[in-house]
Amino acid sequence: MMTPELLEKSLAFVGAIIVGVTAIVQLRNDWAAKGLDAVVTKLLLGLMAVGCVLALLAAINVVGVHHAS
Amino acid sequence: MEAGTTTSHADHGAHDHIHPPPEGFIRKYVFSLDHKVIAFQYFTMGLIFMMVAGSFGELIRLQLTSPTGAIMSHATYNTMFTMHGTAMVWLVLIPLVTGAAGNFIMPLQIGARDVAFPWLNMLSFWILPVAAIVLFSTFLFGGAHAGWTEYPPVSLADGTAGALWCVAIFLVGISSTMTGLNFLVTIVKMRAPGMTWTRMPLFVWATFATALMNMIATVALSDALAALFFEHVWNVPFFDATRGGSAVLYQHMFWFYSHPAVYIFILPAFGVISEVLPTFSRKPIFGYKLIAFSSMAIAILGFAVWAHHMFPGGLAPWLQLPFMILTFAIGIPTGIKIFSWLATIWGGRLYLTSPMLYAMGFLITFTFGGITGVFLASVPADLHEHGTVYVVAHFHYVVAGGAVLGFLAAIPYWFPKATGRLMDERLSKIGFWLFFIGFNGTFFPMHWLGLEGMPRRYASYAAFAATNPDAVFWNRFETAFSFLMVASVGLLAFNVIWSVRHGKLAGINPWGARTLEWMISSPPPYYNFKKIPIVLDRPYDFDKPLPYRNLDNDVDPYPSPIAAVTGVKPVGAGA
Amino acid sequence: MAATTVAQFDGHDAVAVRYHDVDPVYAETRDIRLLGFVLFLVSDCVFFGAFIFAYLYLRVSAPTWPPVLNGHQLPWFDTAFAALNSVVLFGSGVTMHFALENWKHLNRRKFTSWLIATIVLGIGFLLGQAHEYSLVLKDVSWWGTTMGASFFTLTGLHGFHVFVGVIYLTTLLIQTNRGVYTGSKYFGLTAGTLYWHFVDVIWVALFFLFYLW
Repeated sequence: MMTPELLEKSLAFVGAIIVGVTAIVQLRNDWAAKGLDAVVTKLLLGLMAVGCVLALLAAINVVGVHHAS
Repeated sequence: MEAGTTTSHADHGAHDHIHPPPEGFIRKYVFSLDHKVIAFQYFTMGLIFMMVAGSFGELIRLQLTSPTGAIMSHATYNTMFTMHGTAMVWLVLIPLVTGAAGNFIMPLQIGARDVAFPWLNMLSFWILPVAAIVLFSTFLFGGAHAGWTEYPPVSLADGTAGALWCVAIFLVGISSTMTGLNFLVTIVKMRAPGMTWTRMPLFVWATFATALMNMIATVALSDALAALFFEHVWNVPFFDATRGGSAVLYQHMFWFYSHPAVYIFILPAFGVISEVLPTFSRKPIFGYKLIAFSSMAIAILGFAVWAHHMFPGGLAPWLQLPFMILTFAIGIPTGIKIFSWLATIWGGRLYLTSPMLYAMGFLITFTFGGITGVFLASVPADLHEHGTVYVVAHFHYVVAGGAVLGFLAAIPYWFPKATGRLMDERLSKIGFWLFFIGFNGTFFPMHWLGLEGMPRRYASYAAFAATNPDAVFWNRFETAFSFLMVASVGLLAFNVIWSVRHGKLAGINPWGARTLEWMISSPPPYYNFKKIPIVLDRPYDFDKPLPYRNLDNDVDPYPSPIAAVTGVKPVGAGA
Repeated sequence: MAATTVAQFDGHDAVAVRYHDVDPVYAETRDIRLLGFVLFLVSDCVFFGAFIFAYLYLRVSAPTWPPVLNGHQLPWFDTAFAALNSVVLFGSGVTMHFALENWKHLNRRKFTSWLIATIVLGIGFLLGQAHEYSLVLKDVSWWGTTMGASFFTLTGLHGFHVFVGVIYLTTLLIQTNRGVYTGSKYFGLTAGTLYWHFVDVIWVALFFLFYLW
């Protein structure tokens, strides 16, 4: 049964993999680049990849599942 | 005139290019991109607001001549101390020490033609008159009442005035943050060739540390004010304890900025003292690296001590202890500076000019204020002293007796460079003594009055006077002496206005100083240096030859916009 | 003026001429602007940081989370949609990276395609946020509790940053169309890319703090 929630999670899962892998590949390609803008770009790309990991974990219910406390 | 040409790229950079001169009254004097003109604008505005905020202070003093409140209602009194503090902090101190002093002196001292982002510099200034209008419009809505700190929940009763107060200071914050960023980039990227970090003048080190704090801390204030504004206007519960918010949260956010703010006030003043003392002792500054690194230490440690303003406010005991210890610790780099300055003048050939008098007065009053700060840093002592006029004495000694005295030393020192004319030296010295005696008479008795329990921010101290019969005498004593400070500032304003057109011609280097600004004409041409000089050493060794090469002091026929006002023909080194 | 070589767009996969090598005057100007822009981003970090501090303070000191309003405990935020919207935003960061890479390799058409993709994804994120707000506002208002106060303030400020970013990227699209930037002088594009990445990374923090914690 494809509920909206399941659709959202599936799309998030697939998207997170695509975007995250691409971000990491780009990060590796640019690793040697020098200069302030390159350093900042590498840092931010890395953090974006972390974001993709979080989104992936959220999509498969490993994190972000809350019950009222 | 080689307007619009670039020199060879081989050994010069982007900032070596001399742009065409500004044309037209608006471009030259109103929306100027020239850091020197912008500094003048900040200076004029700052002095005007010093007189306005100072008159609020004088009204406070008049009110306190009677224990039941002599001249105004309690509500008006609350507005007076709120606006005195607010205007002094954000329309006088911050603009004068960063916008006026930093803007004028720093680019000249590093051998640059201007700051990194001149348009941003101009915008930073012009935000301030707008902010001032918004701030003073609060009077039309009943005024802000909760002190310059405007703590919720009390400040939430201010209604529209409170919301406008937030907007006004938020605008000042934007101006400050942009200035901090501008100065940081300028100092990092635009120093003259050969000027390594350890060859920079100490005023530049001070401006660098100040700019760091300005850029990082002010943003936290903006957040606090935005949150307070949201709570004023849309009832958003950040600070409302009945809906899960916390008044202590505001204090954390506010003081995270406002403590570094006080170091923003004082570090440029320290920088001024570090320039004035060697020049008038004809001795190198003692402990250059100590002073430079202690400025950085103060800037960094300054971010770690904010909660010492919150000791009685319900701060958990386990938090009070580290803040207490760090606050004690921040006295150490400051003390290192004081001793270095004393060692600088020790054994020197002293010239007691007015800048030197202000500087030496600073050493006395600032040290005193620093010592009372140590007493306030101790939590048990602070629980007794908080909210009393002891605190008022402390911060006026370090701010008025420190930052303001430092700035007042800078005025007669750099005025000749900025205008080409010397200020009247006799009037400056009289002004110094009026200020020094008046200041000490006004604030010294507050130390024991505070320890005896006289509260601050009270429109009437009748309860205190009932148990302390000499309270009324001392308050009247303070009010009497405060008029000397009024006279001093009035005299200063007169001296500035008179000297702009009638002061003695100063020439290039009336003080015999050695930093780069004293190597070019007074006032400097709009582009500062015809050729960017090359720096070989620190500027403080008076017995060695000048450590610069490539100085080009041919008389420039194009007058600076300021020279047109002061009527001074720029003079070359050969004249 | 010293001769400068401006890289021509000829469709080949050549790398842009390094301006440091041919135009040291421009190189210095660019360095100054870059440092200024990076410092601006640092100050923007502090801007978000202080509000995040406020949120942490309010959340940790609350007796329950989500807080109780009028006797009912508020519901948690819906993670699934936010995860999808986050991926949209992160995707736009990657497309922007590709856009700049293509510009540096003088592939003007590919640059334009990737930039348009970035703008579309950015607008998509904003629409997603609008949808999220409509769902959240059913139970949580800005002024009712500290949960709404912190959520709407932080995500609202972030959304505003995204909105400004979309405007800026659209401006870059128009400017590149008019030929403002060359293969060797394109600081506006670099700044735009850094800003867009920054906005992405702030969202990583907010996504974690509001949806995952």
